[in-house]
Amino acid sequence: MLPAPYADAADLVAARNRITDLVCDLPEASPEQLSFEHPWEIRAFAMAVSAHRELGFDWTAFQQALITSISGWEERTGTSDRGWSYYEHWLAALESVLADLGLLSTDELGRQTRDVLAVPANRNHHEAHTEPIAVDPARLVHH
Amino acid sequence: MSATVRTQEEIAARVKALESMLIESGVMTTQAIDRMVEIYEHEVGPQLGAQVVVRAWTDPDFRARLVADASEACQELGISGLQGEDMVVVENTDTVHNIIVCTLCSCYPWPVLGLPPNWYKDPQYRAAITREPRKVLRESFGFTVPDDVEVRVWDSSSEMRYWVLPQRPAGTEDWSDEQLLALVTRDAMIGVGPVGAVA
Repeated sequence: MLPAPYADAADLVAARNRITDLVCDLPEASPEQLSFEHPWEIRAFAMAVSAHRELGFDWTAFQQALITSISGWEERTGTSDRGWSYYEHWLAALESVLADLGLLSTDELGRQTRDVLAVPANRNHHEAHTEPIAVDPARLVHH
Repeated sequence: MSATVRTQEEIAARVKALESMLIESGVMTTQAIDRMVEIYEHEVGPQLGAQVVVRAWTDPDFRARLVADASEACQELGISGLQGEDMVVVENTDTVHNIIVCTLCSCYPWPVLGLPPNWYKDPQYRAAITREPRKVLRESFGFTVPDDVEVRVWDSSSEMRYWVLPQRPAGTEDWSDEQLLALVTRDAMIGVGPVGAVA
């Protein structure tokens, strides 16, 4: 639970550039336009890049899976962009690459997803809590 | 990919399940994913909050408005967002240090701080920071709150999201906004770290 170490700027730029190199050949994504609307998108994005790094699979396999998912969606929905979510295809591509490598069972993923959904994580958090929930008083008199 | 349309909740759950499966099977570590996320957070994340803090440090009227109604004061600076409609700023003083947590999930003031770091969602942080705030700060974050300062832990919910206005360090009276900006860290606005050191 330790915080990730703060990167220095040069380190950060270098890491960012490595990711940009990976991403700029992908369909529908110029690096400038990579933006995230929902927290899950950034995690899905980071997972694919990490998986590529850790497993060393051919990045074109991911590209191809992304293209397949997007064109499948286009065939189903025609030209309407209703329900378009770039990162949904991104996730589908990642699942497909991992399944091809024998590292993921999509049935098991479906089961675990239902488990996650069954836990009402936010059950009581729709009320304002207007007082501190913990106070650790000063141990010395303040001057 | 299936032809069914998924809700945001369903797809977020699927990403979460996939992440824990990959971590469990040793394909990747949480740290590796966090590291990547941080690269992007850094672009759009806590700098907005830092701008608000610097404005509050340099403009007492703005500070008063910020403490009175953070959501409205942030809107003056063009910072708003769906999830930031009910933000509350808690101000650190010589006698009070504030920390934010979300005890149940990961409610977080996105518009000013970007995406929450993964440890913020960690059940260990959520439980321990409430029980033994000083100890967690010292042991997990290397940050010691002096014994003559009271520590208050604020529970963010989806209805009310807290964040911390740190104290302006002494010796920065002549500093430019740009210099001040560099002092304001994400951790300082969560309350788990100090503002940057004044050289």
